[in-house]
Amino acid sequence: MKSLWQRLFASQVWRSIFRHGLPESNRTRAEAVFYNFFLHIHPTKVRKRSVKFTYTWGLGGLSFGLFIVLTVTGALLMLYYRPSVPQAYWDMKDLQYVVSSGQFLRNMHRWAAHAMVAVVFLHMLRVFFTGSYRPPKEFNWVIGVVLLVFTILLSYTGYLLPWDQLAFWGISVGTNMARAVPFGVGDNISFLLLGGNIVGENALVRFYVLHCFVLPVAATMLMGIHFWRVRKDGGV
Amino acid sequence: MTKLRLSFALSGVVFLLVLAVAPLKDFFREWKWYQYEYNDLITELPQKVKPAEIGIKQVWVRGLDRIDRCGTCHLGLSEPALQEARQPFRAHPRIDHDFEEFGCTVCHEGQGAATTYKGSVGKVEYWDKPMHPTKFMEASCGKCHKEKEVLHAPILTAGRKLIQESNCAACHRTEGVEKQWTPSLDGIGSKVNRSWLVNWLKNPKAYFVKTRMPNFLLSDEEVNILADFLMTLKTFPHDATLDRLPTVLTSGTETQREKLAELGATRLSEARCISCHSINGRGGTVATELGKVASKANPAWLYSYMKNPKRLQPGVEMPRYRFSETELAAVVASIQSEFVDYDMEEQPPHTPDPSYFEKGRALFKKYNCSGCHELGGMMKAEEMGPDLTSIGAKRIYEIDFGRSGIEQALPSYLFTKVKSPRVFSPTMKMPSYEFTDEEAQAITVALLGNTEEGIPEEFKVPAKPQSTYAPQGEFGKLVDDLACFGCHTMFGRGRLVATDLTLEASQAQRKWIEKYFKIPYSLRPILPERMPNLFVSDAEIKVMVDYMEKVFIADSVEREVRVDQARMAKGKMLYYEKYGCQACHQINLKGGYVGPALDKAGSRLKPGWIFHWLKDPQAFKPETIEPKNNLTDEEAEALTVFLMSLK
Repeated sequence: MKSLWQRLFASQVWRSIFRHGLPESNRTRAEAVFYNFFLHIHPTKVRKRSVKFTYTWGLGGLSFGLFIVLTVTGALLMLYYRPSVPQAYWDMKDLQYVVSSGQFLRNMHRWAAHAMVAVVFLHMLRVFFTGSYRPPKEFNWVIGVVLLVFTILLSYTGYLLPWDQLAFWGISVGTNMARAVPFGVGDNISFLLLGGNIVGENALVRFYVLHCFVLPVAATMLMGIHFWRVRKDGGV
Repeated sequence: MTKLRLSFALSGVVFLLVLAVAPLKDFFREWKWYQYEYNDLITELPQKVKPAEIGIKQVWVRGLDRIDRCGTCHLGLSEPALQEARQPFRAHPRIDHDFEEFGCTVCHEGQGAATTYKGSVGKVEYWDKPMHPTKFMEASCGKCHKEKEVLHAPILTAGRKLIQESNCAACHRTEGVEKQWTPSLDGIGSKVNRSWLVNWLKNPKAYFVKTRMPNFLLSDEEVNILADFLMTLKTFPHDATLDRLPTVLTSGTETQREKLAELGATRLSEARCISCHSINGRGGTVATELGKVASKANPAWLYSYMKNPKRLQPGVEMPRYRFSETELAAVVASIQSEFVDYDMEEQPPHTPDPSYFEKGRALFKKYNCSGCHELGGMMKAEEMGPDLTSIGAKRIYEIDFGRSGIEQALPSYLFTKVKSPRVFSPTMKMPSYEFTDEEAQAITVALLGNTEEGIPEEFKVPAKPQSTYAPQGEFGKLVDDLACFGCHTMFGRGRLVATDLTLEASQAQRKWIEKYFKIPYSLRPILPERMPNLFVSDAEIKVMVDYMEKVFIADSVEREVRVDQARMAKGKMLYYEKYGCQACHQINLKGGYVGPALDKAGSRLKPGWIFHWLKDPQAFKPETIEPKNNLTDEEAEALTVFLMSLK
């Protein structure tokens, strides 16, 4: 049995994936983190204080976890949803009544979205109260705030997609607020967002693209930078 | 630390379990149980019924752009063996529409996309078209069918008729509903007495149960002001004046008047006033109550009105009886001695409000009296109430339910509004029609059908265009003077209280028609006699029958039938034995009394008519119950010969 394991560890396939040996010494332990894409996000050494759960409450990690849940359920929802005026609402009804576990997917996506807004906000509060925005982390704070804004925008753009009355008026109100920006800029912002002057087919497509592509991709990139900075600054 | 790990592990397991429940819940969905139940149910039936394949069933109605999944649970819809089965498996009652072509929700409303009971009934959040309750079901027929009479939809048809008769169009815009004729109020001050008017305004139904005038629920003060205002209107339309009463009436002796009243009573019954008027609640309802008319209108008005109704009341559908002056006086005398309201409350003398005229006028406008009644110089009112053309599409959030506490749904709103119009807010002005529950239900059905939402043009069945038939010349004048359209229909115009005259001259012989004008009688033993004796002159009868023979005739109904003994015998046999016509028709007082008596049919009908009628009765009168027996030409001719022999 033991030899079987050893033969596996010695095989070329294994070694091509894991270049280091088992984490038995300080060196190999460090290497296990260095050479692993998923683990390298962690710093090699962490202060004992910051590992304490009550220090971070795991809020950053929870936000990331919810983002993953949203990505997965969102991708599955995209299989059934068509962003067009005659179909959007009925696709949603089909998800609810016909697609296997469709309602479960929608609920997961919705609740995770609500939770993510709350958790990201709490994360910001935690960072504020632990003073983690202070130099040298001030840039990461800025990225974090941008990520909070992206989270809210994701939530907002997703609001239109069911194409029901709630969605229609929600977006009407929102874009009318944008219209209130002075110096003649407001109307242009609103026009740009809606692809027109009213909430219609163009607005639906725009919000769909923003919700499913532009904002998630931008958020992912910012998250990469955010995590990398955290690592560099010795956070968890 | 280990505690933390343990709770971490435990919560992980709990989440995993929750995750496992989700697909299970999905697997055992509501509709699946119904389908298993259905497949069990059909094995208990004596007939062989195809079991359902497990899975969602849907109809995609391309024309209406709907997808209905009701059939997922309603599995026996077109399965005759399941006519008595429990729901949701019962077969659909027979209708003329194919489910595949129309789907379900276009008629039933509700949420067609849903696959759960609650969702499909549609009384859920964010769904504003829940299923119609069964008693309002026919409303949906009205979405496409805009005709006045919709086949197989008696409630809808009744509702549309009520909307028309109650003159809703006076205040509300409605499509396909004509405003009704209502009396002009010009000259009302010279016609009625004030006490009657006050009582009438308080509650019109107390005087005439079937009146179309609703109760405006006026306060005593309003009633007095309005009555004072109306009593000032002394001039008749076109400055017509009342005739002077003959002296016999005004200054005759007691015995003279009694004799006169006796003659009047005879003429009144010959004139068959009760065909249209009710007398103390009995008789027709087309025209007003006469039982107490002597306490309402003064004798001079009664005399002048009967002498020439249209002079005092333009447009009224009252025939001008050809009474002599003495006869007219006699009729008035009779009315005065008999049609008195001995219980009428005399109004105490009162001093009118100093500004009663302006106030009365304002009330007249406030309650939109001119929506119905013409009054010289007053503008004919524009619609005041809400537009009803698409009331069936009204959304729940557009309705103010006030404090009524009723179910918040459109059908219950309309029903309540029709029943008690001012319940939602005391400032509302709609009068009370005192509809029964059935009437209110019918009106609600008709109103709910006033929508074209989601109905493509090609599905709509428009109302038939109104007949523009208007007879001209001497005949036209007579038709107007005798108000024939009040009961008869000619070429699609008029009421159907009596016979459709469009083919009268193809049906009846000249001599018979001429005689009928002189002594009208009922052809059917079952019906009361209704055609009044109008006392028309021979010259007038000639004008009318001449016109009929030119116009009310169709060549296609002509046919000469050869008479011989063999046919005669065969006809008799067919009449009494093969088809048993005596079950409904009488000859020499023997036989049933549903159909018209056939004595003297040979002096009344034309052979061509009998032949064609026997071949296809419904072609002439769609609602007739005379069976279509698919007679051969030979049989129909034999019967014609037999019937023509009954002279």
